[in-house]
Parts: sequence; C-alpha cells; structure tokens
Amino acid sequence: MSRNLVELVRRHHALDAPTALDVLKQAVELRGELTDADRREAAARSGLPEATVHGVSTFYDDLLQPRGARHVRVCTGTACFAATGDAHVDALRSAFGIELGERSEDGSVSLAETVCLGFCHSSPAVRDGDTIDAGPDVVARVLAGTCVAAPEPAWESTLAEPVLTRPGDWSGLARVLDEGVAPEALLEEVTAAEIRGRGGAGFPAGVKWGFARASEGDEKFIVANGDEGDPGSYIDKYLMERTPERLLEGMALAAYAVGASHGFVLVRSEYPLSKPALEQAASAARSDGWLGEDIHGSGFAFDVTVVEGAGSYVVGEETALLACLQGLRGTVSARPPFPAQSGLHGMPTVVNNVETLCNVPFVAARGADAYRALSPGAATSGSKLVCFNERFARPGVYEVSFGVSTRWLCEELAGGLREGRTIKALQIGGPLGGILPAARLDTPFDFDALAAEGCMLGHGGILAFDDRTSMRDVARHLLRFGAHESCGKCFPCRIGLQRAQAMFTGDAPVERERLEQLLETLELGSLCAHGGGMPAPIRSLLKWFPDELGLA
Amino acid sequence: MRVAVDGIDVEVADGATVLDAAGAAGRWVPTLCFDERQAPFGACRACLVGVEGSAAPLPACTTPCRDGMAVATEDPAARRVATAVVELVLSELPEPPASHTELAQVADRLGVGEPRWPGEVHPKVEADTRHPYLAFRHELCISCGRCVRACDELQGTFALTATGRGFGANVAAGLDEGFRASACVSCGACADTCPTDAITEVSLLP
Repeated sequence: MSRNLVELVRRHHALDAPTALDVLKQAVELRGELTDADRREAAARSGLPEATVHGVSTFYDDLLQPRGARHVRVCTGTACFAATGDAHVDALRSAFGIELGERSEDGSVSLAETVCLGFCHSSPAVRDGDTIDAGPDVVARVLAGTCVAAPEPAWESTLAEPVLTRPGDWSGLARVLDEGVAPEALLEEVTAAEIRGRGGAGFPAGVKWGFARASEGDEKFIVANGDEGDPGSYIDKYLMERTPERLLEGMALAAYAVGASHGFVLVRSEYPLSKPALEQAASAARSDGWLGEDIHGSGFAFDVTVVEGAGSYVVGEETALLACLQGLRGTVSARPPFPAQSGLHGMPTVVNNVETLCNVPFVAARGADAYRALSPGAATSGSKLVCFNERFARPGVYEVSFGVSTRWLCEELAGGLREGRTIKALQIGGPLGGILPAARLDTPFDFDALAAEGCMLGHGGILAFDDRTSMRDVARHLLRFGAHESCGKCFPCRIGLQRAQAMFTGDAPVERERLEQLLETLELGSLCAHGGGMPAPIRSLLKWFPDELGLA
Repeated sequence: MRVAVDGIDVEVADGATVLDAAGAAGRWVPTLCFDERQAPFGACRACLVGVEGSAAPLPACTTPCRDGMAVATEDPAARRVATAVVELVLSELPEPPASHTELAQVADRLGVGEPRWPGEVHPKVEADTRHPYLAFRHELCISCGRCVRACDELQGTFALTATGRGFGANVAAGLDEGFRASACVSCGACADTCPTDAITEVSLLP
C-alpha cells in the first residue's frame, strides 16, 4: 500500500471526510453508473489524487455493473451453483435478454452478478432492488415482480449452554471493568484461551493482540473483518445481524487489551441488513454507556464505526481489507509490515474475523478454562458455528464443539440431503479449501484433521454437492470465481488463474501435467491465500475424481 | 548481521532484505517489479529464493534478513516457479518484448521457453501518443506497478494508477485520459523504470 496515499487518507480522516469509495458508492446508487465528474468529486472530497480515484472506481464489482431503474443481482455463489447448476442465472439472462453486468437499452432493468448473498440455506438467491428472495421458485417471482424477503435460517446451539447463538449481554466487559482487570491480564486470559482465528488462517487471537499491544503508535485500531466472502458461508452474517452487541463487546475488549480507542467493522455490501443491525446495536450501546467516552465510569473510551465494502472477495484478506477501509483499491500488500505493526492509517491495528471477536466476551466473563471446556478432548478450544447449504434437509447455522465427526454434522445435525439425494463431496470452509469426498466423511471437524485431508476449516461453511453434480463443472465454477476475484496484484494469481480457468472452459481435454505445474506456480508463487489456496479444491478433484475432469 | 547467500557470507544492515543480501554477495536474483529507488512491492514473484528452514520459497524483495540466514538463489522449486511466472507474463503479451527490455533480458537469462499456458492476450488499443514526450502502449503493460510507484514515491505527482483487477489489470494516467490531460509533469520517471516499453520516451524533434 502506498505510504503516501495512506498518509493522505489519514489526514482527511482526521477531518471526518468520506473516503473516495464512500463517495463513489453514493454516486452509483444515485445515478446508476459513474461519470468522470463523480470521480473528480470523489477526489476533491477525499483528498486523493484523481488517478487514484479512477483506479478505485475500476476495482469494485459494485461500481462496475451499471444499474437500471430496476437492478437485479443474481447470486453466482457455490451454494446456488450446487442447487441449480447455474440454471437460475441462465433463466434470468434469457428472460431479460441481457447478460450479467448489462443494462437494458431503455434503462428499465439491469442484471448484475453477485457472489454469495448469504442465503445458501435457501438457494438460489436473487436480490431485486432491496429485496433478497431465495428458493426454488425465485426466478418465477423475479419475473412476476413479486419477490418477498427470503426466510431466515435455523440458528441453534448443540451445546448444553449456548455461547455464540445467545444475544450478547456485555457481561464480559462488565466483569473486566467492575473487577478492575488490567489490560495485560485480559490479554493473558485471551492468550491462555487459545482462540484460533475463525476467518480461515486459524492464527491465535491473543498472539495477534500481543503484537499490536507491543507496537508503538499514536493511536491503535480494532478492525472486525465482516467481509465473509466465502461462497456458502453465512455465519458472520447472522452474528452481525442477530447478536451484533456480542461483536461490539468483543471489539471493546480487544481495544481494552491492546490500548485502542476506536474500531471499525467492514461489512460486505452483499449483506445489506448487517450494517443497519450493527449501527442500531452501537447506538443502543452508546445509550447504555457501553460505547463512548468513559465507559461505565472506568475511564476507558471506545467507539465503533461501521463501513460497507463494495464487492470484492479478496478484500477479506487483511491488508486488502485495510486498503478498502481507507477507500483505496482492495489489493493485497506484502507482509511485513503486519497490520499489528502498521495497519489502518499506518497505525498498529488488530484485524480479527467477526466470529473470532464474538468468542472474546465469553472468555472475559468466564475465563480460559471454561472456554477450553466447550470442546472437551478436542485440539481446538471454544465452540464453532457451522452452516449448511440448501442441499441438506435441515440447513442453517449451528453451534458445535470442535472434534465432532463431519459425518455426524452432515447426517445427524443437518439431516442428510433432501429429496433422497446423497452426498458426493463437501466443500468445507470456502473456495480456498479442499474438497472432501463422501468416503472421508468420518474426518473429525477440526483445523488439523481437515488440513490432513487437504481441506480447511475456514469459516465453517459446509457445502454439499449431491450425486448429480459434475465435478468438471465444479472445477470450472471455482476457477471462474477465482479468476474473477483475483485482485490482480501478484503475477501468478493474476495470470495463472485466468489460464487455469481457460483450461477447463469448453470440453477440451485438460493436460494433467501442465495443470499440475500451473497449480504449483499458484501455490508457491502467490502473494496471498487467494492464489495460494485456489489450487486446493482442484488438487482434491484430481485426487478423488480424476475420471470426471476430462484429463489427458 | 551475517547472511550466507549460496554459501557466500555477507554482512548486511538491520532491515536489509534477502534481495539486498543477494546483491551484496554478487548473486543474481531475477526481478520484474523491483526498482531499487522504490519501496519493495512483492508483486511479480520472480525473485523467489530458497531459505533454510522455510518449506516454501520466499520472495527475496520483501523478506527481511535474519542473522545466520542461509539463502539459495537457485533453489530448484523457487527457480521452477520463477521461470513459470515469467513464462506466464510473456504469454499475456500480444507480441514478444523488445530485446532491450528488462523483461526480455530476465526471460532470456532464465531460459524461458515456449509458453505451456498460452491463451488470451492483452487487447491492442490505440497507442496514446498525445503527449509530446511520453507514449503509452497499454497492451505491453504487465502490471508491475513500477510506473505508478515512480510517480508516487519519486515524483510525488500521483498522475498514474493501477486499474481493473485480475487479468484485466493495467495502468492509466489521470482518469484514463492519457498523460497529456493528466497531472503528469513530464518527468519521465515512469518510462525510465518500465520493464516492457509499455511507457516510452519519445521526442518531438526528428
């Protein structure tokens, strides 16, 4: 990230100016597309150079797809693909007579692609204007103009005493402030609890906080990563919408431990209900004295700003997320420096996933030992939220202990597949993780056990492909996603994913040796987990379903 | 601190990168997005090297040295991937790079052969020759970011930006209106650093 641009943004932030991205988003919402006048205005209001703003305006999906009087966004995420094989996309293209990313000539309607609306429990999903509808008859309702809000998923805990599915109550922060727990002591407790990051990498939260606490800076920030872009995952969505106060409490505790006084939540724009829910909870927390100056007479001050993204998967990577938060292009930066040393506005910053932060209030209220006891005998402490796609009989979000068998999750908890279908394979934790064939369903659901199968716990989304699915179609679907979402910074990912996608386009045989050489280049060469991780599902398919891939 | 590069011991300052150490040892590491006048960027991944204790190759330009580190510039996996990356870059250009360019020289030295993954190339657009001293050929851009950083870090003009994303990434001046209408001050730092002739200096005079 350009240090000069970061400094320019920091100076304007101090003036409470909007970011360039904020201004551009408003212009698109108002007029349906961007003009150079909009870009010049965004530059003037954000303090950024015009060229920089132009670069931002060509990066995000939300700014690139023109909007008609009626703007229809069709979900092309993996759960919707698993449900229909993209038939819902084709039906809308043909009915409207326009391609994805196009607007009709008379401007009455536009069709846009959106990658995962988080209604994977009820696929396929379509957003018509402000209404997100989902389910097998959604296309008919879109065409009849009768969309209704999609049903909400199940939200249940299998624990004797729910932790993450319960509304937050600020009891963790209350204990810390009432008992005068020192920030160092809270940091020690969180470190002892061994909260592994729930966003994919599994890095211990306490260690990350320790780095940020030790870093020098005029100010420090807590950033909640609410850019849950993994298609098939809708866990953070419901944490933000159903228990937003728990997330805010987790952020306040992180701030207390590392010495920060402000926090930001970056919410993806595909979740239009999340930002209002968080803002309402923040407003209530301010009224109740849990956010703001001198919280409950303790002298501790902390507040939170909620910011919405603009359509980019890679913005879920922490350096890209910080770039987006500053209104810049959401590209990845090489580390070091790590955000804990130099993050938002160049200051020490903790970036934690939403679910990770939602674990913190329990640790603060009940201690590390109680937290570890949530998953007895498992390698990982705490509990985990998992979610299932529409193929399952009882899709929804469930809180479980680590270490349970994947088979139990799929067959008992989620009730197996609907309509008598059987599981062919699972994709767990998003597109950067491997694919688990039905034969390996007895794998324990935990970080290391899944990693041993070439898979990843990731966000905890469990997505089933049923027995009718063509695995070559799965490869094509995933690589198309990968190439579309590459931020374009590092060469292996920028070019390599385009080439990998091309190898699976059409019906031509795929030369296995050439493919594997390309996968190695992506794995070892890429700057971040996007290019580095996209080969994982393809490796799984090569291992378990080679006969279906059309290899040569 | 002391670092061994291909068995050659060198003394480097705190904060030095592995690429600095390789330079001190007189060992060649291929680079495309690196310019010693600019902050390391870590985009091209051509500078991958082997580092003792690291299972995977590491980019030399953004990896800080540690005391006692052992670096292998010709680590087989690192060199295999670096060569593949340069091969991919060549495959995105509509024509081979001119022999005097840095890209052509790096490709030649690595012995990059026929592209294993040919495919779509950058579309040819009309060359921007509206500016008296600078010409732009977008289809030769490999998104190394050197011109953008030269304009930012060396000149402080910010007339250039990266554009698009993924395979569609490129660069633009101003609001993609060409050098002449942008904030460009004609310093030529972008043309000087460009490794492919996407941006070149021209002269009004015969």
